Amino acid sequence: MEVFEAIAQPKRREILRLLADGERSAGEVAARFDVTQPAISQHLRVLKDAGLVEERREGTRRMYRVRPEGLDDLHEFLAEVLPLGLRRLKRAAEEEARRGRA
Amino acid sequence: MAAREPVEYELLIAAPPRTVFAYFTDGERMTRWMGMRATLDPRPGGTARIDVAEGATMVGEFVEVEPFERIVLAWGWEQEQLRVPPRSSSVEVSLAPDGDGTRLRLVHRRLPPDAYDFHRAGWSHFLGRLREEAA
Repeated sequence: MEVFEAIAQPKRREILRLLADGERSAGEVAARFDVTQPAISQHLRVLKDAGLVEERREGTRRMYRVRPEGLDDLHEFLAEVLPLGLRRLKRAAEEEARRGRA
Repeated sequence: MAAREPVEYELLIAAPPRTVFAYFTDGERMTRWMGMRATLDPRPGGTARIDVAEGATMVGEFVEVEPFERIVLAWGWEQEQLRVPPRSSSVEVSLAPDGDGTRLRLVHRRLPPDAYDFHRAGWSHFLGRLREEAA
């Protein structure tokens, strides 16, 4: 689940916090942190792939802002983890029981 | 926030209780339905740790273990942004023979209200939390 990996990293949570205050370019984000621009770009790509931020082009600049519905996926995962799991459990236990009888 | 009803699931499984029970106590079987890695110590006070996904680790403790009948597990998520701290909610599993199979009932109780409201609270809650961490 990409969202978990994305928010598990402290630097990426800081970036999210910054973007929550308003849209920023990649350069503006990098200027706020003591890390290289490529490292910031990598963090922004992870956040984007996880659906937590969105990107748009403005001339030659890439602008980033938080994606409000980004946490919906996380919520759905948490709500589904037990019911989906129990269906898998049923299949696995029934298969084991069939093998045992065979 | 208002208290919520427990979340309940019930299903009939064409396997005897002894077989179904092992899916809650044996780490290898656990990962066939939940998680990528599971470390389980299925006795009262024993710990349970399940890596459900990268960055999402369920941390719990067995409270009751009655072979082939009942398991109560206190659980939560290690990652605080998932809003359910370790051991803050309980999962109660009851197994009853039903013909050649098992009737499984699972009740998930005592989730903190803000976990239920995660969706509605959404970003404001999550980001509020981040601010607290940063302060």
